[in-house]
Amino acid sequence: MFDLIGNLALGFATALSPANLALCFLGCLVGTLIGVLPGVGPIATIAMLLPLTFKVDPTGALIMLAGIYYGAQYGGSTTAILVNIPGEATSVVTALDGHAMARKGQAGIALGIAAIASFFAGTVATLVIAGIGAPLTKLALLFGPAEYFGLMVLGLALAVVLASGSVLKAVIMVVFGLLLATVGQDLETGEERLTLGIAELSDGIDFAVLAMGVFGIAEILRNLENPEARAVVRGHIGRLLPSLADLRKAFGPIVRATGLGSVLGILPGNGAVLAPFASYTLEKKLAKDPSRFGQGAIEGVAGPEAANNAGAQTAFIPLLTLGIPPNAVMALMVGAMTIHGIIPGPLVMTKSPTLFWGMVASMWIGNLMLLIINLPLIGLWVRLLKVPYRLLFTIILLFCCIGIYSINNNPYDVYFTAFFGFVGYALIKLGLEPAPMLLGFVLGRLMEEKLRQALALSEGSFMTFLERPLSAILLLLALVIMVLAVLPAVRKGREEAFQE
Amino acid sequence: MSADSLSSSRSPRPVWLQQDFIGGLAVIGVAAFAFWQGADLPIGTLGGMGPGMLPRGLAVLLGLLGVLLIADAVIERGGPALDRWSLRGPLFVLGAVVAFGAAVRPLGLIIAGPLAIVISAFASEEVRWRETLVSGTLMTAFCIGLFKFALGLPIPLAPWLLGY
Repeated sequence: MFDLIGNLALGFATALSPANLALCFLGCLVGTLIGVLPGVGPIATIAMLLPLTFKVDPTGALIMLAGIYYGAQYGGSTTAILVNIPGEATSVVTALDGHAMARKGQAGIALGIAAIASFFAGTVATLVIAGIGAPLTKLALLFGPAEYFGLMVLGLALAVVLASGSVLKAVIMVVFGLLLATVGQDLETGEERLTLGIAELSDGIDFAVLAMGVFGIAEILRNLENPEARAVVRGHIGRLLPSLADLRKAFGPIVRATGLGSVLGILPGNGAVLAPFASYTLEKKLAKDPSRFGQGAIEGVAGPEAANNAGAQTAFIPLLTLGIPPNAVMALMVGAMTIHGIIPGPLVMTKSPTLFWGMVASMWIGNLMLLIINLPLIGLWVRLLKVPYRLLFTIILLFCCIGIYSINNNPYDVYFTAFFGFVGYALIKLGLEPAPMLLGFVLGRLMEEKLRQALALSEGSFMTFLERPLSAILLLLALVIMVLAVLPAVRKGREEAFQE
Repeated sequence: MSADSLSSSRSPRPVWLQQDFIGGLAVIGVAAFAFWQGADLPIGTLGGMGPGMLPRGLAVLLGLLGVLLIADAVIERGGPALDRWSLRGPLFVLGAVVAFGAAVRPLGLIIAGPLAIVISAFASEEVRWRETLVSGTLMTAFCIGLFKFALGLPIPLAPWLLGY
């Protein structure tokens, strides 16, 4: 307990330095600015803004990136409420009741409660990270290659179950991602693999390039095909602060959703995606009058927003303690950390405590800043959203190009982004969801490394995964999850859940 | 789902036009390509894997999954048809990205920026010349100010004119 307070004090001392505060503020601001743009989710936003952090020291860079991440999240919710275009999967739920509230002239209250719910969830999630970060790190030090491999298999199994399409297609995408991850030099021998003789591919495919292609560019192509179903809320935003009665109504959902989101976010395999859906369903079940949901129920905004933010933040836990990114955003964080010479994993906390705790503290500060800067800036975001898409997408595209070029100052990265933009477009047309592919790609290299290590230690016997109790449990869990997902009864329930 | 498959079994659509059938073919194609590219890499043994073990193993697995997807499409016969692919959007958007990549080193941001904006603007049917030129100029100026001067990124500005 005293440890916790001491650590947090160290963290706040780091995060509250004027330079770091300024970086946190800047990150939140530009993150929101880009995140508000329709069709630009947190993944594309971070990939685009990654170069902004190159000149900063590692601690400052991570603080700024975390700010960009929360800003992008919050910007996505703003777009979902005001124009009913969710930037990414997790704000889909917010769009349901949030946009309905906006049409009833309560846009301000919807935005206000979203900010308040996010702030509350962020506060709790920060404490969760601070509280269980240290013990989990100790656990991680007991992990051998077999356990790491087992945990990542579990993560991929979860990603398959959480994907919205058919299980078979999700498995295909995971394997495709793993295959893409093998491109580049071999870990041990340095031999070129699947590089097609292109020298720029010998370091492998850059994750930011892949993510920007399939999420940034392909999203533009998708939006161009479905011309403007955009209805920017006209007229008054109304007052921003919810009334006491509203707050009382929203309080229960916020608390429940924060718990749900915090737990789901820790799961490997992007459990955070599930959090807003789970919260919405729960609140609808608990409500006295479920028919209000979809018509602008404040609980339907407060709950999912809190769940979303809590999950988005506790997703840092697997990354910071085990070095395993649970989703695409965290994989971009890995990229950013590596650029600054930090290898994410259990050693970060012991080797660079100021960085670790500074980042944890900045998460809370970032959430507070979002609350403060966004409420007055909502008018600006509304005006931005009124710019017609035919102009906006060209600007988004230019930002994408500059961002991707600046990561390595390499024109080839820009070409590869165009290529993966086409791949992403093809995936949309073929009904294949890119999210499991990205996770497969993210985990691919590490999985290969751990698999090879484990099998080298056991001299080629797969029994090593079953003889070690922890890895056996993890693999068994993965198996159970996969079996459940293909069982007809569960499959039906899952389809219904995604229908809602 | 069931209503959909009922109606389509009454008027069956050719199976090769189904989304999943084509998707399966594409998956098998990718797998075969990867297998062919990885064919010379040594596989090694389980205890000491060579560089080729995983690429080839995964390619085979992917191919099998592709076959399953096709089998699923043929047996169920109820899946959605392949969507129309548009040409205009991908052509101009991807063309703009490639043009930016080709122009940024030799010509600098001062040319590559407006180029990307003008080319991509044609991806939308509502393209308007004057508006596009104005936004291309303004946004390039904004990006130069932000990325080049405020953030100091080493992106070339106009090497042919300024030398950097």
